Amino acid sequence: MALLEIKNLDVRYIMKERQVLACDDVSLSVEEGDSIGIVGESGSGKSTMAMCVLGLLPKDTTRTSGEILFQGEDLVKLTEQGFAKLRWKSLSAVFQKSMNSLSPVHKVCKQMFDIYRVHTPGADENACKAMAGALLDKVNLPQSVLNLYPHQLSGGMIQRISIALCLMFDPALIILDEATTALDVVTESQILRELTKLREASGITCMMITHNMAVVAGSCDKVAVMYAGRLVETGMTARVLTEPRHPYTQGLLASFPTFEGKKQALKGIPGSLPDLSGEIPGCVFAYRCPHAAERCFNEKPVMTEHEPGWKSACWLGPR
Amino acid sequence: MARYLLKRFFLCMIAVMFSVFINFALVRLAPGDPISIMAGIEKPNPLMIEALTKKYGLDKPIIVQFGMYLQNVFRGDYGFSYRSNLPVTTLISERVGPTLLLSLTSLGLSILLGCWLGLRAARKKDTLFDRFFSNLAYVLDAMPNFWLGLMMMLLFASTLKLLPTAGMIDVRAGYTGFQNILDILKHMILPVSCTTFLMMPGYYRIMRASALQAMNEDYVTLFRAAGMPRKQVFRSYVLKNAVLPVVTMIGMSLAYSIMGVALIEIVFAWPGMGRLLLDSINKRDYAVLSGIYLILSISITAATVLLDAVYAWMDPRIRLS
Repeated sequence: MALLEIKNLDVRYIMKERQVLACDDVSLSVEEGDSIGIVGESGSGKSTMAMCVLGLLPKDTTRTSGEILFQGEDLVKLTEQGFAKLRWKSLSAVFQKSMNSLSPVHKVCKQMFDIYRVHTPGADENACKAMAGALLDKVNLPQSVLNLYPHQLSGGMIQRISIALCLMFDPALIILDEATTALDVVTESQILRELTKLREASGITCMMITHNMAVVAGSCDKVAVMYAGRLVETGMTARVLTEPRHPYTQGLLASFPTFEGKKQALKGIPGSLPDLSGEIPGCVFAYRCPHAAERCFNEKPVMTEHEPGWKSACWLGPR
Repeated sequence: MARYLLKRFFLCMIAVMFSVFINFALVRLAPGDPISIMAGIEKPNPLMIEALTKKYGLDKPIIVQFGMYLQNVFRGDYGFSYRSNLPVTTLISERVGPTLLLSLTSLGLSILLGCWLGLRAARKKDTLFDRFFSNLAYVLDAMPNFWLGLMMMLLFASTLKLLPTAGMIDVRAGYTGFQNILDILKHMILPVSCTTFLMMPGYYRIMRASALQAMNEDYVTLFRAAGMPRKQVFRSYVLKNAVLPVVTMIGMSLAYSIMGVALIEIVFAWPGMGRLLLDSINKRDYAVLSGIYLILSISITAATVLLDAVYAWMDPRIRLS
């Protein structure tokens, strides 16, 4: 059984005069031990899906339907009390903007100890210190950082602390939402290497949300490509990145530089995301697709399996 | 921290010295004769001219005059009011108590009320509570203080006869002890509420805005994702981060909270420094004006250093940078 099974997930943001469909009929399966990358440009619904899994979408301004089965429980129907039991012990996360992921006016130790005490009430100072020390060791940070404030640390160090925090209770699934986006390339690469080591050592399942194909290529076994709230292609990273089936995945890959082959100008994808507050009857990418046919504008493409585990949603098939 | 405070203290000393210098220079640089400015009348009599010339050494070189002026200031000798012929220090010390009582009570209440309402409004964003108080803040902001004072007096004192119309004590009753305190408190209700209503919207707005901003920070999402109850996140993390701009605002509004009550003091015949200031402006009582200006600038500078210390204590980014 899959660790996380998302079935026909729809998420709408409710605004005064309109509704925006941020996730449209998303279905995705994550097996235990998987490292799956969710890619797509800004506004494609990646973070909305992650926040929905974490139960952190504001209830009053969003409407969610479908199913998110995690360890047999449907997270869409789960109450706040239900989430309180799952959070951090089974399901944890690292968020983007490393410099803001810790409170600037509290010491690192207070923030780590407070989170620890939420799940182990009454834990004394020594137990908290032992826990924090072990976690910091895992991410190659000295114990002295415990007595520092976030502004005394670099972005990379803060992100390492965030990773240490999410490993606190050996969760079954870690969601990394643009966890390395704000870091410089050298620190990003160090952190990704350490993360891969930790993942391999503990067998934790990772869902890595990013817009950087290089991160997915280096750290994820599987990839899911999202565009305008819909999942357009999913499969093994090695296959999808070398032989992309969906025109959007092809465009996305063509936008990234490569050291191999002939030197050529980078190709962007012309146009921008469609307005998600209106009904889009056909393929969401049709308006930017260089191969779009009439059917693409009128009928919603269904996910078709090309090989076991490799699917894409395009009427035109492989190109 | 000590280095930071020492630096702030040094800067404030410069500010105080600058205020003292401005106070000294203004009279001497103003068009006309400094003696007539100090005397408050255009043609002072020869005896007064002689006395003032002697007291301030106006016949001596300017640098000697500044030295004498500094000496007087540090001795607390701000001269005599030409109207009442009383020492300025005596006049100010009689009035400073009632002004501080009125302004600091109003300031404290407006901070407490504004922050509490602001925090509640932020937690209940877009609800009826939030909309009501956000709109009320605009209405109160647009209201002139003397008008609100008069209306409150008309309603609660003249029409409903619940509270006294003016003054700080009931002179005819001659209360003493606890009765006197109660009498002062009763007289304080209208001027304090009026000033509080007018200062509170600023604190409400800044608290609401900074709480909303803090609630959307990434660390709040992290703590929520880590399973920390909403209340604990708010109390332990949002509050401390959100309150920092309020401390800045207190420092900025300190001068206003003391002198801004001048009109309220006049409306409610409150025997404070604001009234003394306006009376002195009307009567061109330079010695009193100069004394008030100096005492105010020194006390506001001292309070600013104190608030800087509080800010540094609360925000490690300031303390440890």
